[in-house]
Amino acid sequence: MNAVLQVNGLTKSYGSVVANDGVDLVVNRGEVVGLLGHNGAGKTTLVLQVIGLLMPDAGTIHVDAVDAVADPAAARRRVALMAQAQTPIDGLTPRTAVALAARLRGLDKRRARHEAERIAAELAIEPWLDRRAGPEGTGLSGGVRRLTGFAMATVAPTPLVILDEPTNDVDPARRRRLWELVRRVADRGAGVLLVTHNVSEAERAVDRLVIMDEGRVVAAGTPQQLRGTEDHLRLELIVEPEGDPSRIVPPFACLRDVVVGRRRLLTFPAAEAERAIQWAAASRSRGAFESFALTPTSLEELYLELTESKSQASGPEEVATRG
Amino acid sequence: MDDKRTPPAPALEEVRLPHLTAYRLLVKWQAAGMGAMLPLVMVVQAMLAVGLIVGFGFLIPGIDRETATFLSTGAPTTLLVIIGLVMVPQAVATARNNGSWNYLRSLPVPRPLLLLSDLTVWLAVALPGLVMALLTAWLRFDVPFSFNWPVLVGAAFLTVLMATSVGYAIAVSLPPLLAQLASQVLVFFVLLFSPLTFPAEQLPVWFQQVHSVLPIQRAGDALRAGLVADQYPFEPVGMAILGGWCLAGLAITLRALTRRR
Repeated sequence: MNAVLQVNGLTKSYGSVVANDGVDLVVNRGEVVGLLGHNGAGKTTLVLQVIGLLMPDAGTIHVDAVDAVADPAAARRRVALMAQAQTPIDGLTPRTAVALAARLRGLDKRRARHEAERIAAELAIEPWLDRRAGPEGTGLSGGVRRLTGFAMATVAPTPLVILDEPTNDVDPARRRRLWELVRRVADRGAGVLLVTHNVSEAERAVDRLVIMDEGRVVAAGTPQQLRGTEDHLRLELIVEPEGDPSRIVPPFACLRDVVVGRRRLLTFPAAEAERAIQWAAASRSRGAFESFALTPTSLEELYLELTESKSQASGPEEVATRG
Repeated sequence: MDDKRTPPAPALEEVRLPHLTAYRLLVKWQAAGMGAMLPLVMVVQAMLAVGLIVGFGFLIPGIDRETATFLSTGAPTTLLVIIGLVMVPQAVATARNNGSWNYLRSLPVPRPLLLLSDLTVWLAVALPGLVMALLTAWLRFDVPFSFNWPVLVGAAFLTVLMATSVGYAIAVSLPPLLAQLASQVLVFFVLLFSPLTFPAEQLPVWFQQVHSVLPIQRAGDALRAGLVADQYPFEPVGMAILGGWCLAGLAITLRALTRRR
């Protein structure tokens, strides 16, 4: 069996709120699967059921062929989690913390020390390797704590690795190193479930994506499949700070049309490119918007369109779909 | 030594660690978290010991030797119980709020080991308080100790275990904010309304009956029987009630640790 995580028809409610509604999900060996969704989409509820902290109302979860609902302890021995909250390492140095995590995952003392140093070098956190994490976030920065938590989850071989927002607080250079390591974890045969709401990072790092909204899976596939194989382009229009991008009326039919704050994202067939550029240039010179950019399509428009209802309630970054 | 000659990494399979190794590693992990707080806890314990023995002593003008002995031998129990019933719920509530409670529960170790390692660490945190209280009692009132070591060790161990496990049970049964509030109320209950530093006969009869089934007075009596064995007899019934509270606390906590909501 190739799947290290197989979730079928998973349903979980909190009172009248359905947090997971018949979720299907597969993570195969050697694969990085991105689980994408806004806050409250049901991602964390799903993860908590996989690691045996929540009991599903219905559905099945198999981790490395073990029934995680019937035998959560056996499933937990096959999963390493990097939670969204900071990993509790107060009083420990990153060296000790990573070695401890490695020992708890079955590496012997010498190997654990060796692996802790190796992964610290790969994440470029050696200068902090022997600095103690103090209480209330003192001693180590949030980024180093986050990277230490990542190292603790990936230091020892585990069939399934779950990473929840691993790059929060991490600087761009180390983010790149972290993504390389995620790839390597999958290459050595583990399945990686990457939970995030960062679309652009997920798009580059994953083999497959599962997009959740309001407890349901609303799209799944490779980034290429989700973007669409057809020849589409994206026109991004940015209005003045006080402007309203929804008032712009494009002269061509759009496949997707999303408003995000000051931005209007229009997806259309590449055949319309010439017309679109002429219209955009003319409109900008009339002052209809501040600037525009024509780019290949990305997952962002699809994601925003699929998760529209949630985003509208999410504050200043107002998202609305038109067309 | 050639550091490069490390053994091959294990295959991608489930972790099966010997329980003793897992326990040792968890104690190391949890002790480190507590380590930063330990000096502060010891200062607080020392201040409480002085406050209870010297301060409460001021409330009784012309304190006689028997009263001084009673007061002094009740103070260690107060300190041990406060660690368990007050500090443990606060620490667990914090862990539940900041996510470390769930993180530790996601580790590939049997969950009773999580509790066992935490209890070990709390035992180590609580015991210096016992020593400090005895030292203060000896310096202030020159209390004529006559130790019954097996009773003393057993009572101290059961008292810490009872207070810690009941504290844990409170912390996992109530929402974090309510647990913190309950722990604040318990400080007053233990300090002022529990017959540890004064004889139970000074309480109304109905309240004496309540305390006869609660573990606090029982812990105080057991510890006193270990400290001044020639004046206070050891009561196995009290020890059994204390043990019963330990079991109840442990059962509630273990259920919360393993339960899936």
